[in-house]
Amino acid sequence: MKTKKINKNMVTNILYPVIFGAIILILCQTQIMHKILGTDVFTLPLPSRIIEIISENIPKIMVNVKATLIVSVGGLIIGSLLGYLLAIIATVFPKGGAGGLSVAAAFNAIPIVVIAPIFNNLTKGISSDASFRSMIAKTLVVTVFCMASMSINAYRGLNELPPFSVDLLKSYAAGNFTIFKKLRLPNSIPYIFIALRVTVPGCIISGVVCEYFAEYVIGVGRQIRENIVTAQYATAWAYITVACIMGIIMYIILLIAENVLLKGRKS
Amino acid sequence: MRKRFKEFGALLTAVMMVCFTVSGCGSTATSSATGSTSGSETASSAKSSSATESTSSSGKYFDKDATVKEVLTKASEEGKIGNWGGGNEYELLALLSKYGLKTSFLSQGYDMDGFDDDSILLASVMTYNEKGLVKNSYPGGYGYGDKVKTIDFNQEGVGMLEDNIFCTKDFAKANPNTVKAFISASLKGWKDACADPEAAAETVYKYGSSVSSQHQSYMAKEVKKLVETDINGNAVSDDKLGYINDDAMQQTLDIFRKYVKLDDSSANDALQKMALDDFRDNSYWEGATSGDFGTPEKSDVTIQLKWLPQAQFMGYYVALDKGYYKDLGLNVTITPGGGDIGETTAVYTGQADFGTTWPATLISADASGMGLLEVAQIYQRSGLQMVYKINQ
Repeated sequence: MKTKKINKNMVTNILYPVIFGAIILILCQTQIMHKILGTDVFTLPLPSRIIEIISENIPKIMVNVKATLIVSVGGLIIGSLLGYLLAIIATVFPKGGAGGLSVAAAFNAIPIVVIAPIFNNLTKGISSDASFRSMIAKTLVVTVFCMASMSINAYRGLNELPPFSVDLLKSYAAGNFTIFKKLRLPNSIPYIFIALRVTVPGCIISGVVCEYFAEYVIGVGRQIRENIVTAQYATAWAYITVACIMGIIMYIILLIAENVLLKGRKS
Repeated sequence: MRKRFKEFGALLTAVMMVCFTVSGCGSTATSSATGSTSGSETASSAKSSSATESTSSSGKYFDKDATVKEVLTKASEEGKIGNWGGGNEYELLALLSKYGLKTSFLSQGYDMDGFDDDSILLASVMTYNEKGLVKNSYPGGYGYGDKVKTIDFNQEGVGMLEDNIFCTKDFAKANPNTVKAFISASLKGWKDACADPEAAAETVYKYGSSVSSQHQSYMAKEVKKLVETDINGNAVSDDKLGYINDDAMQQTLDIFRKYVKLDDSSANDALQKMALDDFRDNSYWEGATSGDFGTPEKSDVTIQLKWLPQAQFMGYYVALDKGYYKDLGLNVTITPGGGDIGETTAVYTGQADFGTTWPATLISADASGMGLLEVAQIYQRSGLQMVYKINQ
């Protein structure tokens, strides 16, 4: 019975996306996709050529991948921690908490293209080293994005408790801290993963986008821009593919972590 | 009652948080504004700030008599060389390679604030645009006057040709008369514009300008120099205006493939094998100047500019304004560029019939298979320079 369930999960979670991806790849390689979209192999290069470019430029690509990962993962971790902290504060002070989180939700709605140049200017005084202050500016943008999403979801996890559970614990004479530790914290774990499912792919996207505006010329996103402007579409697509792979790998890591940590829970 | 109190509390906190954010932004915004003095304020404040700086730190900028190599080495070591990228960086890469320095640069914004607040010590400028903003003190200028010096790429032997006219090879083959008529009318416009830059600047301003009228007039005078002087500093005769000089073009191609490596290996191979005949054709220019062409095959044509409407493109605006295009049976639309609009892509996809770009960008596009063809070379020398402040 159990093995059957796992198999079914595997089919829906892994097999279907892989088949879908393979179909897209085949359509591209056989140029059927080009006919459907009315484009040509110059604007949308063949997958074989893209892979060729990636394999030829691995050292250069890795430098850019590293720069993007530092920004994205750094922003993700700091943002998630800050977001959770904000949710805790909002829970401890319930009178203003919910309203305060609405403001955090508003932050979530600010487009990256708007805050990226602002943070660039704000961080100019931080350091005389452009690569460092540029990295800080980019990380801040990702942080803001991740923080907003995490705080809203974590707040729900900390407060949307099973009915009467708080009353029950109070009847056992449990203090607020005990309620937090025994009830709220475990209850919020699945909600953390709900937030992470949005922020993990999102942190790569926001990292890539804010590299467009960054002062220091580095990163996968910057390479995409430079190559498109100079009409090097095949190379640009190579970097787009790299960005996709980064996002997918991060998401797979998240799914594995979720499976391990939430074992025995209903997700 | 309790619920209402709760609501009020939530509202109050929300308002407070908004206030904090706004005030936070406010204070930081002012601090950044003082860091990068912007706009009309600059003219007056720049003088006082540079005066105090010269007493406190005499070696912060560059020595008045420093050689090009010394300037480049210092700026490179501090990692404070700026360029806009996106195809404008090739001459800089060539210059840095020539002196054996590492070829990295900072991303320069489209204003000169980074240069003004010293986050960039050696900044890229176009003689007709940013250099004017840095030196002059009209509105929008930074008023540095003689406190800055420049490095000229032409003199360093790594000058590359800039603004040209191009279309796709297929378009040129299918519509030779349209191409010749377009070149002919455009050259007439450029001749008029160079004869009277002030009037040309006013014409451009009328058609929608991205900059002030004083700056437009400065730009027109500087552009005139680029059109009428060749890459070696000799005057271009009137009947050679817009002609593609093979020596200068070969230099552009050689510098490009010597110092720039494309990541796409097949494009890089194509670049190494490329010859002048693969991407430029003077026969349309010759046909246009001799007047040897019939009625245009296609009369409604569009030209995609490389940048916003400004005197950099005054010839086209003058030709349009004086009806030179109409005289030859052309109905021309001028599409401004700007930001990340790729003029090569616009022409390749057929959104525009003609475009202006720099040959280096065209060569790189052709190397990866775009099939573009340069038909005239308006600017006969490089207008790119590097600007730096000198110690007072």
